[in-house]
Amino acid sequence: MTGLVAIYRRELAGLFVGPLAWILLSIALLLNGFLFTSYVNSLNGNVDEALRFLLGRAGPFWFLVVLFPPLITMRMISEESRSGLLEFLLTAPVTDAAVVTGKFLAALTFMGLLWASVFVYAFVAGQVGPPTNWGLVCAAWIGALLCSGLFCATGLFTSALTGVPLAAALSACVLNLALLLLPMLGTLSDAPWVRELLTRLDVYEHLRGSFLFGLFDTSYVLFFAAWTALFLFLAVRSVETRRWR
Amino acid sequence: MIQVQHLTRRFGELAALDDVSFQVERGEVVGILGVNGAGKTTAMRILTGYLAATSGSARVAGFDVLRQSLEVRRRIGYLPENVPLYREHRVSEMLAFQARLHRIPSKEARRRIPAVLEKVGLSARSRELVGNLSRGLRQRVGLAVALLPEPEVLVLDEPTSGLDPLQRIEVRGLVRELASKHTVLLSSHILPEIEAVCPRVIILHQGRVAADGPREELVRTLGRGAHVRFEAFVGADAQAAAHKLRALPGVSEVTLGARSGIHQAFEVRGAGDLREDVGALAAQRGWAVRELSWHQPTLEQLFARIALGGAEAERAAAAEPAVAAPSQPAASPLVELQLAPQSPTPPPPAAGASGPAPARGMYNLNPFERAARPAPRPEGECREEGRQP
Repeated sequence: MTGLVAIYRRELAGLFVGPLAWILLSIALLLNGFLFTSYVNSLNGNVDEALRFLLGRAGPFWFLVVLFPPLITMRMISEESRSGLLEFLLTAPVTDAAVVTGKFLAALTFMGLLWASVFVYAFVAGQVGPPTNWGLVCAAWIGALLCSGLFCATGLFTSALTGVPLAAALSACVLNLALLLLPMLGTLSDAPWVRELLTRLDVYEHLRGSFLFGLFDTSYVLFFAAWTALFLFLAVRSVETRRWR
Repeated sequence: MIQVQHLTRRFGELAALDDVSFQVERGEVVGILGVNGAGKTTAMRILTGYLAATSGSARVAGFDVLRQSLEVRRRIGYLPENVPLYREHRVSEMLAFQARLHRIPSKEARRRIPAVLEKVGLSARSRELVGNLSRGLRQRVGLAVALLPEPEVLVLDEPTSGLDPLQRIEVRGLVRELASKHTVLLSSHILPEIEAVCPRVIILHQGRVAADGPREELVRTLGRGAHVRFEAFVGADAQAAAHKLRALPGVSEVTLGARSGIHQAFEVRGAGDLREDVGALAAQRGWAVRELSWHQPTLEQLFARIALGGAEAERAAAAEPAVAAPSQPAASPLVELQLAPQSPTPPPPAAGASGPAPARGMYNLNPFERAARPAPRPEGECREEGRQP
């Protein structure tokens, strides 16, 4: 556990020492601020609905959530395997799982910070308009965080697979898009079991169906947690197989 | 401390390690020597738990490196060859990270970090970014990182590769210092390294242990071709002089070397160090001596013999001294290399074991030799001085 915290702290510091994190944060801040105001305008001042659009209902959210986590995680394992730092970490007295989880939590913290700007928007909107529905804001933020976490896990997984960060980021983007778009294939199929299976994979519906209504439903949390855990597990395994390759 | 048994590691078809077994006792300093690709790094990676062995087992401090990996890792300080460090962090931050990884309480870490920086000579640079440091300094940071948890075993993979000669000497000194407290396993393909630091040498060749034992013993048992090199003005007839040399007691073979100007070189082989006999003969004959030195096969020649194998190696080893001698002043690290193994053996004043008894008497018979020509053996003397750093 101590090792995990050490890795987490190092990784978070490493993120903010470099320029990439700051660039991504400013892009997200700019985009979200602009989008929020335009949503509020076009929805005649309905702040709750605007927040829903911002955190899941509209396309730009998915653009950020598919693209940014891979950019954050792409270097975490692949570059370290090239620079030899992974050799340092894997010969330190921490488990492989702690290494991967520490990195994951750092990426998740970054994404949480990235989405945290909605609290500011909600607060400001609450000051000038009707009181803020904080329950909705928090639930939507948690939903965005869980969704980002899932895509951070896929990013770490692909980062563990390849030694080229860019390849890791690209393949993670493809994987994320596939996860998002796969359920749409369900509408093409007549077989009920295919539809059933694909709705179990539906990230979009799971986000929209609970968190965006201000619901904190453990089964929906579990959905994200389980998929995240699966990809983290694969990432750990992939790091472990380095010993045998 | 380290037990390696029948360790084999394959990368596809290639066997990087092939049935390697050795043991290292607590407090030993062992050098692993081998050409590039001999399996040094693979062996170290298996010991530190970065790679798994295909078959065989390895134990460090009684713990299996695969099954009780974390226990092993807690006890090993590992410095990989390319010295992986987070370039974007400061030296002190890197050490603090290592302290947290090893669960060193923060109070303890605050005490140890300055101490370990002091040890590697980086106290003044603890606030600098690792990425801004030179290669040699980064190497020291790597050493500091490896030393911080005060490990029982230190595994250093080519700790001086890529360093300039001065830095190399420094790192070597550092390793020698560490040897008193830790069990050290050090790999290198640079012989000076190993010769200067490690009393025991394991030579890996093509994934197998080609030789294992104390440095001097390896040189003695496997090395042949120790000889006295003698260069002097002996008049026109070199053959006649060679005959006279051959007539000395204990001499079995005299070969004529190159002639440079009026000076003729000889290689005198026989029972041990015959420098005094040869010197006395030269004094008696009035030969103007230019060089009189004792050449022992170095680990390097021994290594070449093993690495090249067979008859080819014999030739290479035979050619070696002639090549090595003139290049000595040019390459400073090489000088150190050849000093070290000789240090216990050439004792000019008390030639107890190797020098035959009458030799000393004959030497004393020629005091004018020392008075008139104070430097008949310049090499031997400056080596004596150069050896003490």
